[in-house]
Amino acid sequence: MKLSLPRLAVGAAVTAAVLAPLGLLVYQSFLSAPFFDRSAKLGLEAYEYVLTSPDFHRAFLSSFMVSFGMTAIALPLGSLLGFLVARTDLPGKKWLEPWLLVPVFLSPVVVAFGYVVAVGPVGFFSLWAKSLFGQVPWNLYTLAGVIVIAGLTHVPHVFIYVSAALRGLDPAVEEAARVTGAGPWKIAFTISLPLVKPAILFSGALVFLLGFELFGLPLVLGDPAGLLVLTTYLYKLTNLLGVPSYQLMAVVAVSIVAITFPLVYFQRRMIGAAARYAVIGGKGRAFRPLPLGALRWPMTAIVVLWLLSVVVLPLAGIALRSIVRNWGEGVVLSESLTLDHFRALLQYPNLVRGILNTLWIGAGGGALAVAVYALIALTAHRAKGLWPAWLDYLSLVPRALPGLVVGLAFFWLFLFFKPIAPLRTTLVSLWLAYSVVWFAYGLKLITATLMQVTPDLEDAARVTGAGPARVARDVTLPLIRFGLIGSWLLIFMMFVREYSTGVYLLGPGTEVIGSLIVALWGTGGLDLISALSVVEVVIVGAALLAALRLGVRLDA
Amino acid sequence: MPELVAENIAKRLGGNEILRGVSLSLERGDILALLGPSGSGKTTLLRSVAGLERPDRGRITIGGKTVFDAEKDLEIPAERRGLGLVFQSYAIWPHRTVFENVAYGLKLRRMAGAEIKTKVDGILQRLGLGGMAARYPHQLSGGQQQRVALARALAYGPPVLLLDEPLSNLDAKLREEARHWIREIIKETNAGALYVTHDQTEALAIADRIMVLDQGIVQQEGNPEAIYARPASPFVAEFVGSNNRLPGTIAGSDGRRARLSGKAWSLWGELRAAKKIGDDALGVVRVERLRIANGPGENCLKMTLKSASYLGERWEYLFIADGLQLRLWGSEPLAPGEYWVAVPAEALWLF
Repeated sequence: MKLSLPRLAVGAAVTAAVLAPLGLLVYQSFLSAPFFDRSAKLGLEAYEYVLTSPDFHRAFLSSFMVSFGMTAIALPLGSLLGFLVARTDLPGKKWLEPWLLVPVFLSPVVVAFGYVVAVGPVGFFSLWAKSLFGQVPWNLYTLAGVIVIAGLTHVPHVFIYVSAALRGLDPAVEEAARVTGAGPWKIAFTISLPLVKPAILFSGALVFLLGFELFGLPLVLGDPAGLLVLTTYLYKLTNLLGVPSYQLMAVVAVSIVAITFPLVYFQRRMIGAAARYAVIGGKGRAFRPLPLGALRWPMTAIVVLWLLSVVVLPLAGIALRSIVRNWGEGVVLSESLTLDHFRALLQYPNLVRGILNTLWIGAGGGALAVAVYALIALTAHRAKGLWPAWLDYLSLVPRALPGLVVGLAFFWLFLFFKPIAPLRTTLVSLWLAYSVVWFAYGLKLITATLMQVTPDLEDAARVTGAGPARVARDVTLPLIRFGLIGSWLLIFMMFVREYSTGVYLLGPGTEVIGSLIVALWGTGGLDLISALSVVEVVIVGAALLAALRLGVRLDA
Repeated sequence: MPELVAENIAKRLGGNEILRGVSLSLERGDILALLGPSGSGKTTLLRSVAGLERPDRGRITIGGKTVFDAEKDLEIPAERRGLGLVFQSYAIWPHRTVFENVAYGLKLRRMAGAEIKTKVDGILQRLGLGGMAARYPHQLSGGQQQRVALARALAYGPPVLLLDEPLSNLDAKLREEARHWIREIIKETNAGALYVTHDQTEALAIADRIMVLDQGIVQQEGNPEAIYARPASPFVAEFVGSNNRLPGTIAGSDGRRARLSGKAWSLWGELRAAKKIGDDALGVVRVERLRIANGPGENCLKMTLKSASYLGERWEYLFIADGLQLRLWGSEPLAPGEYWVAVPAEALWLF
């Protein structure tokens, strides 16, 4: 296929949107002052300052330990869960399965507050434990606390890939092992899991990568103890120095990308390896699940316990906190129930705007983003040559950029690139940043949907006389409309739960729930935070229910 | 003038030579079957004509207009070639009714609504789909879907109709019936048809001419009788029909006929390749040409009945002799024992 004008235009726009923020960050990192400052000179001063700073070293080490630790927790647990759900007769797994993916759709910052009010030093659960043991037997505000919670909440990322790979496995290979005399554990460890090793490695690399992009959890849980990881170090840099030091922020951002980009690239290479393994793909025939026997109920207990700790515990905590006047030792729960915090939300115009903006950017912005992703995906659909390959590599860039960093870059772009400056205080700036952050995810959703259209259906229209645009309009798009609605619901949830991307862009007109919560954390307004969190969880929950009702696949 | 001409079409895919210089020409009203095993390149050739694949070499002309020329880097896209294509998977659009599927090509050609209706209703009627116009594809049986696919390809009167294994997804029973009416309908439209199939019976029943392809090369082209009765190569001989193989050496010759000898047998056959005395040769004889003889005679072999299977309308016997194994058909069960098997010399082809 040749380069057509629409493809060229789409290509240029996407390339600019994705590479401009990264380019600006890299450029800024080599300057001695903010890029708009006339006195700024090229140089390595900023690198010298950051890379020799002990705080940066500590943050880097913490980030590495968090990444490593959470992978060590999420990988075995997620693989186990994947095996249990995809392959065994785990009781109630049909009912449990959608819940296993819920943590993916919860805002990490909301979950973090949930843990603070549930198992923090004066959390509901902690005080109850204190009344039993005389003291709280754990301390949430430590590196270990961050690692354990990050590990538990990233179990679904492993589960998704491992269970999908296991489902693609021909059950006959397991049945053969059973007939030979192997029990379910023997089968899991000698047959099933080794066969899906590429998926396990891939998801491990993913969780490790996400560890470096973690922001909400370490911000909330690490703050009281002064614990910093790379992202929170970047966020606190302005406060630490007292002056906005763009070049230093840029260096930290570039350092994060320097770690994440190779990880993303490595992961991309692994997909190829995983595809080579897929030769064993089964026909998806019905098969009898492996009987767990005596382990049935202990395994169920592990799954339920995990769900309780990552979904029920934080959500119940935040919900309860939103309806008590205040909380601490000696407060009697039944006497302090109130709806005041929700009423208070209405008294702050910026909070009301934030809620409306969140809905608007999720619904309208999400729909627009899906339309743009679909347009981009269509230009590469069934195409050969440079453009699909370039798009593939382009989509690696946003995956390596944490939302916080993209938000920062777009904030600078909108601040100093005059033609678009007026848009900074509108949702347009936020939408652009969100769309870039979720570019890879959205493109994958649409591409997966497009793949389900048999090429023959499109070829039939072409032979009948329809040009490419007409084929897209008459055949491809109508056929994927349910897929598009599903993608829109998923993007809606991702945009609603988004918090880090909006942090720097937060201003009058661009408030959203996520970034408001981060900002409120600085002032310690737990009452408002918990009420806002409940609002966000309700919105995401409603979308999640709608998605489940429509049969949207959540594990995209 | 031929409606469709393809010259010297070649295509490589990932190191495999799918087509190595295939040429064909097709007149209006003519049905040409492309017959070959899977991987022979027949579907790639059809898709190249349709414009869905781009060959590396060659030239394709439709109605006197060049639609593809590798040398001139000319490629008219599929949608501007004006052909009809029936897919193996049918590829009828699941989100459109039968009527909308069939009317699509006419709509693209900006025909008036009323005219479209008359035309589509007519063709649906003709194909036995009257009353199905408002249904969606999933409400149709496999046979009906297949006819919708054909109706859609015929609706706008393409000069050349391409059919890619159109009957392979039908039940055996339906397929046998379809052979008759599909030929009838193509003949009615007076379009030239390129019919891809791997089923020799289908090709023999439907086509006016058959082109046998193997490994991207044309093995033989001719009418069904010629292909079946006068195969030009051992591949064609063995691919078409039900056959016995007799590997041996040429032991003697009297011009057209030659003597093929094995370990403990010797038979006269018809020489179909240049062979000298002493050369290794392969004898091929159709199963239906062998008979049981009453006693010894010319070109008869004494063999032992190894097994007999009942196939419904006939029996199939398996005979063995020293280093030889032959299948033949008969109408009654045979008692175990030794028999004389007659091999007509003109039916034993030596390659």
